[in-house]
Amino acid sequence: MGVPYVPIVGLVGTDLLKRRDDMVIAVDPFDGRTKSVVAKALRPDVAIIHAQVADRHGNVSCGYDAEVVILAEASKHVIVTAERIVDRLTEKEAAGAFIPSIHVDAVAHAPFGAHPAGCFGLYGPDKIHMRQYVAASKDDASFAEYLQTYVHGVRDHDDYVERFVPRDWRQPVRAIGQ
Amino acid sequence: MEYSETELLAILLSREVRDGEISACGALSQIPAAGLLLAQALHAPNAELIILNSVFNPFHTSKPFHFLAQRGELGLFFVSGVQIDRHGNYNLHQLGPDPEHPTIRFPGGYGGGMIYYAARRTVVFRTEHTRRSLVEKVDYISAAGGTPPDVLRHGHPSKAVTPKANFRFDRDAGLLRLDSVHPAYTLDDIRECTGFDVGTGPVSTTPAPTTEELAVLRQVIRRKMIDTGTYAEWARKSLGDEATRAA
Repeated sequence: MGVPYVPIVGLVGTDLLKRRDDMVIAVDPFDGRTKSVVAKALRPDVAIIHAQVADRHGNVSCGYDAEVVILAEASKHVIVTAERIVDRLTEKEAAGAFIPSIHVDAVAHAPFGAHPAGCFGLYGPDKIHMRQYVAASKDDASFAEYLQTYVHGVRDHDDYVERFVPRDWRQPVRAIGQ
Repeated sequence: MEYSETELLAILLSREVRDGEISACGALSQIPAAGLLLAQALHAPNAELIILNSVFNPFHTSKPFHFLAQRGELGLFFVSGVQIDRHGNYNLHQLGPDPEHPTIRFPGGYGGGMIYYAARRTVVFRTEHTRRSLVEKVDYISAAGGTPPDVLRHGHPSKAVTPKANFRFDRDAGLLRLDSVHPAYTLDDIRECTGFDVGTGPVSTTPAPTTEELAVLRQVIRRKMIDTGTYAEWARKSLGDEATRAA
C-alpha cells in the first residue's frame, strides 16, 4: 500500500467520518454518479518493525503472515529490529510476512526487542509487565514514572534486557540469537 | 424447555445463516461464533465460515478479508453495539450527549463501519434489551443503517436481535420494525423496555429453540469450540446445562 488513495465501500453517514479529514466522500469518476468514501494514503515517515529474523542484506521475515508488510511498503523509512541476524534468509524463512530489503533502511540485532509484547513463536507477552503498563497509563504522572524507569533510565538495550526481561526466558532464545 | 439467554441468542443468530453463503463474525464474538458453527451443523452444511482470530478463517491477515467484503462477496456479518437505534444505526464508540466530552469510551471499530455497508446482510445483536441499549438515537453513529440512494453500498442491516425480540430493518422507511417477540415476553414487555416506538401489533412469537438446536449447540458445538480453541473457556462455561458441562 502507500498508493495515493483507496475507495472504501462504507462509513458514509457515520460520526467517524466527521472527525477525519483524510477520508472524504467522492463521486465515482467512471459512472459520474455513485458516491463512496475515498481514504488518503497514510505515509508514515518512519516505521519501526520487530521481526523474528533478518539477513545482512536487509531482507526480513516475521515468520507468519502479518500486516507489517503493508506498513513497510507505505513508510518512507523502515527500521527493523530482529531477534536473530543471519547471512541470508532461506526460502522457508522468506515465506509468510516477508519484507524484501528494497523497503528496509536499517536492521539492528535486538533479542527480546518486542518485550513487554510477545514475538510469535519465540515468547509470549510479559503479562506481569503488561499489567504494570496498563496501571501506569491511568494518568500522566504515573506514566512519566514508567517512562523514567523503563525508557529514559536505561543505558542501552542490553541493560534493558538484563534488568527487565524475566531471567528464566533468556538463555534459550539468547542461544538461538548467537 | 430451559435455556439461557446466551443459548437463545446463538440459536437465533444461527437461523440467519444461509447455506452456500460466506458468513462471518469479528474478534471477541463468542455468541456469533457459536451461531455460525451451529448453522453449519444444522441447516447450512455448505456455508463458508469466517470467524476472525480462530482456526475457522482462511486468511492470516485482515487485508484479504477487507477486500473480500469490499467486493461484495460477504453474505452475512454479525455485529454488536452498545446502543442500537430505530434507524438501524449502532454505536460502538462512546456515550454521552456531548461528543467532544464522552462519559465513557469503547474500543470503537473501523471494521464494522465498513462491513455494515459491504456485507449483503448484517445482523446486529445486543445481549441487553433495555431503554439504554435500544434507543431513539445513538449518541455516536459507528455505522449507519440507511444511506442516500446514490451511495455505493452492497448491503444493509437485515435484523436486530436481542434476548427479548427480533426486529427487521425496513429499507424503504429506514426503520427497525418489531418482527417477533421471544417466548415468555409480550408486546407490552417489549414496549416497556425499548427506547423507540415498537408499534401496536399484532406481532408474532419467535419460534422457541428446538430440542435439536439446543442439543447440537450444547454437545456438538460446545465440544467443537473447546477442541478447536474457539472461545474454548467461554463455550465450556456458557453452553449447556450442568449435565452437559460435566461431560
